[in-house]
Amino acid sequence: MAAVAAGALWLAATPIAGQAPSSAGISRTEDKKPNLNGIWQAFNTANWDILAHEAQAGPRPTVMGAWGAQPGGPGIVEGNELPYRPEALEKKRRNFENRMTVKVANDPSRYDSGDPELQCYRPGVPRANYMPFPFQIFQNREQIMIVYEYKWSVRWIYMDANTEAPVDSWMGWSNGRWEGDTLVVDAKGFNEYTWFDRAGNFHSDALHVIERWTPSGPNHLLYEATIDDPKVFTRPWKMSFPIYRRLEPNLQLIEFNCVPFVEEMMYDPLGLYRPGPRKAK
Amino acid sequence: MRNQVLVPSRAVALVVMLMLLWVPASLAGQAPARQESADAARKASPHSSNEAMAYWKAEIARRLAENSAKVYDPRKPAMSNPPRTPWGAPDLRGWYLTAMYTPLERPDKVAKQFYTPEEAVEAFTFATTSDAGVDPATVHYDWKEFGMDAWQSQVRPNLRTALITDPADGKIPSLTAEAQKRRADAAAQRRQRDPQTGVSIFGNLYTRCVLGGGAAPLIDGGDPGSDSAAGAGGVTTEMQIFQTPDHVVIVQQRNTDTRIIPLDGRPRLPQNVRQWYGNSRGRWEGNTLVVETTNFNDPAPATHFLGSTDALRLVERFTVVDANTLRYEYTVTDPKTWTRPWSVEAPLPRIDPPLYEFACHEQNYGLINLVMGAQIRATEGRLDPRDPRAASPAAPR
Repeated sequence: MAAVAAGALWLAATPIAGQAPSSAGISRTEDKKPNLNGIWQAFNTANWDILAHEAQAGPRPTVMGAWGAQPGGPGIVEGNELPYRPEALEKKRRNFENRMTVKVANDPSRYDSGDPELQCYRPGVPRANYMPFPFQIFQNREQIMIVYEYKWSVRWIYMDANTEAPVDSWMGWSNGRWEGDTLVVDAKGFNEYTWFDRAGNFHSDALHVIERWTPSGPNHLLYEATIDDPKVFTRPWKMSFPIYRRLEPNLQLIEFNCVPFVEEMMYDPLGLYRPGPRKAK
Repeated sequence: MRNQVLVPSRAVALVVMLMLLWVPASLAGQAPARQESADAARKASPHSSNEAMAYWKAEIARRLAENSAKVYDPRKPAMSNPPRTPWGAPDLRGWYLTAMYTPLERPDKVAKQFYTPEEAVEAFTFATTSDAGVDPATVHYDWKEFGMDAWQSQVRPNLRTALITDPADGKIPSLTAEAQKRRADAAAQRRQRDPQTGVSIFGNLYTRCVLGGGAAPLIDGGDPGSDSAAGAGGVTTEMQIFQTPDHVVIVQQRNTDTRIIPLDGRPRLPQNVRQWYGNSRGRWEGNTLVVETTNFNDPAPATHFLGSTDALRLVERFTVVDANTLRYEYTVTDPKTWTRPWSVEAPLPRIDPPLYEFACHEQNYGLINLVMGAQIRATEGRLDPRDPRAASPAAPR
């Protein structure tokens, strides 16, 4: 009977990834915490759309063809529904329409345009965790640092001194703690400019993300995030997906400094793009 | 009060300005005329070189009495048993400042390699106040203004007269013929203006927010408040060293630029994979972290450290000197640029955490404004002076 009850509990606790958290095979740090050091990556299509979506042509099919098309996928949002406030849903729709609009101006109106990713802006949280780029975790007892290959975006997760965000930022301000083998990160202090995906799903500066990073084996993490933003959503909602350790020997992050990749797109329409002669390869 | 007013420093001039602005405003409930406060600030600034020199002498004597213990002595031996990480490596973790007043090259008028402590304090005091010749009524972008006094930061006088330790004359070795031509070509290119916009250049890697520091060592000496491209980075000189058992990460606050340095002896990246920050590999030699970096890219126009190229090989060494200081040494080799390798030694003083996100490209209205301003000026220059738009600062293009 006790075994049946335990089995039922086990089933109830099974996360959507289908893997029970297990301490077996998890390498540990000198203070007996799961050792998250290493290069990790999510493999899903949430960066195109965090909700379930079909494959479709990209916004510039005449030049980008199949390169610019988006793959379909099941999404990462619990219940496959985002509880937008009515006016926010309208903004999400406009965001999608304008996702490739680039506005260069010397005032904040430029943020009210296309996908920040397109313009090489920092992706924010949680989006950085499911972009199609690897990221590297560096773990100490007092602090955990995550370096994302995309734009070399950096997050510091303060484990010892939990403090308020001194100022809003693109990657937010993260305080962490261990709950058993789960790293729980409370991230706030975001600005209102990042999006969740290329589909225009967005948030405000009231965004509050609680992340749970749980090892489910030596090479897998289950990532869960609770998103709260009362300015945009009527209730908190959840996302989850597995994150995989990259196992290639000697793998390292390769710089993805995208600023030079977007200068012509952003500045040429204003006649500002004069970087000097291109070097012949 | 009179002595303080005589301080030949823009920082004190700023204090005077703030006092002048604040006192009448609080009494009368309105700010005085801008011209009035500017005139008062100028009047309160040094009147003669004799007064300035008298002030300096007194200031140096006072600083020496207070601060001789803070002078960095590069001959001080490293800690034989530095603090260790939980996994047993020398513990370099923490936050440091890379700002420096000691010049990279030895000044022509200085013959010796080391100052006495008195001379070091004097050189530091002169260096930190040498920019006092500016108009005190204007506001400047100088890193000291946030702290009001260079002594409030962790930057310290250095017994070294120059950061370069090799060659012995403290000078950067001569350029190769190839590098001389490259430099002349780059200078000619900088003089070219775009005929349509009137803009001479698109901006350097720092103003374009491509890089904070770039393919360069952490320290290149000189006045961190100067307005050179390197100096622009110099106003943001905080950095963090983070360690795990098999990696060291160096984050510079400027542009939040990050270098990930594996310590596990893995092979280098293939030669054809080039990066702005190169490809670093680290190892421990005793208690010293040695980082060797190659695979720098070669952007056009060449804008890397002192005009160096993709042939640059940078070897850096980090050693704990005391609880508050790392010793930072590096050797630069680039046969396409210099006729011989050269080496530098400098302190990295500890500072308080944290680093902040430096979202440069995301907020780069500075570049937009600079170029738009240049375009408007160019348009004004082309207008007939009788055209009323020529007199308007907001003339449309």
